[in-house]
Amino acid sequence: MTDRRDFLKVTGALGAGLVLGLRLDAKALPGKVAKTEFRPNAFLALGPDGRVRITVPKVEMGQGVRTALPMVLAEEMDLDWSRIDVVNATPGPDFKSMGTGGSTSVSTTWTTLRQAGAAAREMLKAAAAAQWGLAVGQCHTEKGFVLGPGGRKLGYGDLADAAAKQPLPSKPPLKKPGDFRLLGKRTPRFDGTDIVTGKAVFGLDVRRPGQRFAAVLRCPVPGGKPKAWDKSKAEAVHGVKAVVEVPTGLAVIAESTWAAFKGREALAATTTWDEGAAKDFSSASLETKMRAALTGPADEARKVGDAEKVLATAARLLEAEYSFPYQAHATVEPMNATAHIGQAGAELWVGSQSANRAQDRAAAALGLKPEQVQLNVPLIGGGFGRRLGTDFSTEAAQVAKAAGGGPIQVVWDREDDFRHDLFHPATLHRMRVGLDATGGISAWVHRIAGPAILRSWMGGQKSPTQAASEANGALDLPYGIPAITVDFGEVEAPTPLGWWRGIQIVPNVFARECFLDEVAHATGMDPLQLRLKLLGDQGVVKFGGEEADIRRLKKVLQVAAAKAGWGRKLPPGRGLGLACHAYDGRTYAAQVAEVSVEKGQLRIHKITCTVDCGFVVNPLGLEAQVEGGIAFGLSALFSQITWEKGRTVQTGYHDFPVLRLADMPSVETHIVSSGADPSGMGEPPVPLAIPAVLNALFAATGIRVRSLPLLPQMLQKA
Amino acid sequence: MPTHQLTVNGRVHHVDADPATPLLWILRDTLGLTGTKFGCGQGVCGSCVVHLDGQAQKSCQTSLREAAGHKVVTIEGLSKAGTHPVQHSWIAEDVAQCGYCQPGMIMTAAALLQHKPHPTDRDIDDAFADHVCRCGTYSRVRKAVHRAAGGVK
Repeated sequence: MTDRRDFLKVTGALGAGLVLGLRLDAKALPGKVAKTEFRPNAFLALGPDGRVRITVPKVEMGQGVRTALPMVLAEEMDLDWSRIDVVNATPGPDFKSMGTGGSTSVSTTWTTLRQAGAAAREMLKAAAAAQWGLAVGQCHTEKGFVLGPGGRKLGYGDLADAAAKQPLPSKPPLKKPGDFRLLGKRTPRFDGTDIVTGKAVFGLDVRRPGQRFAAVLRCPVPGGKPKAWDKSKAEAVHGVKAVVEVPTGLAVIAESTWAAFKGREALAATTTWDEGAAKDFSSASLETKMRAALTGPADEARKVGDAEKVLATAARLLEAEYSFPYQAHATVEPMNATAHIGQAGAELWVGSQSANRAQDRAAAALGLKPEQVQLNVPLIGGGFGRRLGTDFSTEAAQVAKAAGGGPIQVVWDREDDFRHDLFHPATLHRMRVGLDATGGISAWVHRIAGPAILRSWMGGQKSPTQAASEANGALDLPYGIPAITVDFGEVEAPTPLGWWRGIQIVPNVFARECFLDEVAHATGMDPLQLRLKLLGDQGVVKFGGEEADIRRLKKVLQVAAAKAGWGRKLPPGRGLGLACHAYDGRTYAAQVAEVSVEKGQLRIHKITCTVDCGFVVNPLGLEAQVEGGIAFGLSALFSQITWEKGRTVQTGYHDFPVLRLADMPSVETHIVSSGADPSGMGEPPVPLAIPAVLNALFAATGIRVRSLPLLPQMLQKA
Repeated sequence: MPTHQLTVNGRVHHVDADPATPLLWILRDTLGLTGTKFGCGQGVCGSCVVHLDGQAQKSCQTSLREAAGHKVVTIEGLSKAGTHPVQHSWIAEDVAQCGYCQPGMIMTAAALLQHKPHPTDRDIDDAFADHVCRCGTYSRVRKAVHRAAGGVK
């Protein structure tokens, strides 16, 4: 449906070099690999000491892939979890598809990693069987050993050489879930110890011999260019080595990050700008255009029946407008990248969610072939979609080139990070419902107006799937309504846009689930009962290019309501609210929030979340994603980016509030099992937090909030 | 540039730098101690918290001049081999997600427990008021602090 998803899907299908069989044995590998290492595929290397090095084909940004993906492989290979090492993949022939986002890391690698582990296990068994003169069927594996009858036992390390000579099984048998020893177990983060001791290396922690640091002075208005400057002031700052021009602005190269920042400050005082086409852009001017687009022409995303016609003759019409502001990613590790250009090529260290794309674009910027650019991905201090962009890595390559090669680490400060984010754009939503004579919903119309994220991602081009992408979360309205129209009225904005955790689903589900709550109250129905009625006895429903099993959604909703005690008597001033969604038709989730307003402040006491994401690889990691996804969603209740004179008004956490510890509600997670293969959990919890809380706020106080951010005055009763 | 004497994790360093340089950058760029993180440089995210004479201190808001002559402890020096009770409880509660803000959180937790061995929820709220974790590990941070204090809550 969306091109982001297609990107992740296409790149998510693992590279051709990973197809089992292309790397049969150690002899086929480059000389640098010890010949006693058993490498049946690009994901694993078994050393003679029995330790196994697992290469993770997706990048770690807190979602736990460096734990979950090795678990999948280790399960099938029957590894001793305490004897594995985990390394990050680098883009190249073996890893053509490192794109990490859209909650796809487990689902797109699940089968491949299982097969990779199972093939290795079968080859180790065959090697042991040959040594013992037994049939393979007489051997089995356990925690790094092959075991045979009569107490026969050989460690994997001792079999590495012989296993490499075994033919690769074409269809290695996969374990039955009942035999899993590791999968489904609560497994702590692989990098836990390194993180708590400060040893974990993030992008900003990369240190190369002779490394310099750079800060880039960029026009505060996106697209603007420096007109005139005097670099002598910057060069006079102690530690500053040079000032160079790059396509994004002026880079100050220095011995330390601080010197680069101070040099840039001195340079800024001397610089005048050609602010470009965006210089008059403001949130107010955008809102005027968006409001016009609420009624003008639009691109259809879903049409069932003729909703306008039904509305025209409906017994009763309900209408509301919802509004969601621009948002920033605000990762705690600011954007950064380190680049070093040598004789034969370049090497980059980038916390990239699109490592292959970052490699390609850096190569293009340097006039090199992609294979001449070695791109290393350290740990990522928060991604949330921001690091799907390649702006910061390409810029670092350009800075290194302009400065004579590097190595140079380009460091963004907090203000850079806010001013030059790839933003989540604002949207307005015009919601209309027609009721028939019995109060039933006969038509649903959801018009979304705003800038198109996908256009920005596609380099300014309009994709045929643009409307569907911008309407994600709205077009896949799961409720059985006879006439539905969902469409998207595009509004131009000169701001760079990008994918943000939860993407368009966040505003679209906010508008959809809150408006449905309004309909429930307007028709005297309980919000849970209305949803259950509308979900009805639908089975698999198709929405454009995808489908969802409504029975699974209904189940998570029922379980959430039961676990949260929906319908119980609450003290005055307290309320429960709910929301549910089938994320990309893959992960089904529902949330019930319990809130109150105390001394004019919203207090979110508890959120109960149920999820059905198919098989759960690591329940401990899943719960972390639910807690974190809810925290991310709740932050967006209060945060916004606004624009004045072409620049963001907000420049840091001081004026872009994100959730703090004191405001974190109690989160209770319940897993609903469906027996399906794993889907994903990074994004699905995010879009439900806002509507669940705002619906609870209405239940508690009668205050209906349709416009975000939530401001204190909205909580004052009229 | 004047030379400043700085004691970090028990080692004495003589640092030749602008006295106004934030301690954060001396630690990261001069001494190579990258466990202390840069998050905002504005004193509002807590990623750079270290101990200055046992007190939790934002190293981005502390100049070299102010730190000179005092005892600085960073995440690398909190314990030998990650054995501090806070580090243990952080692992036990599987707190970290991306992990970037966690060294600062751990240093704040360790300082809190030093001064208040049995903090209340309110004490924890207050101690972490200036910390940002965008991954949302807060519930587990709270549990880990209680666990380190001797009670699993």
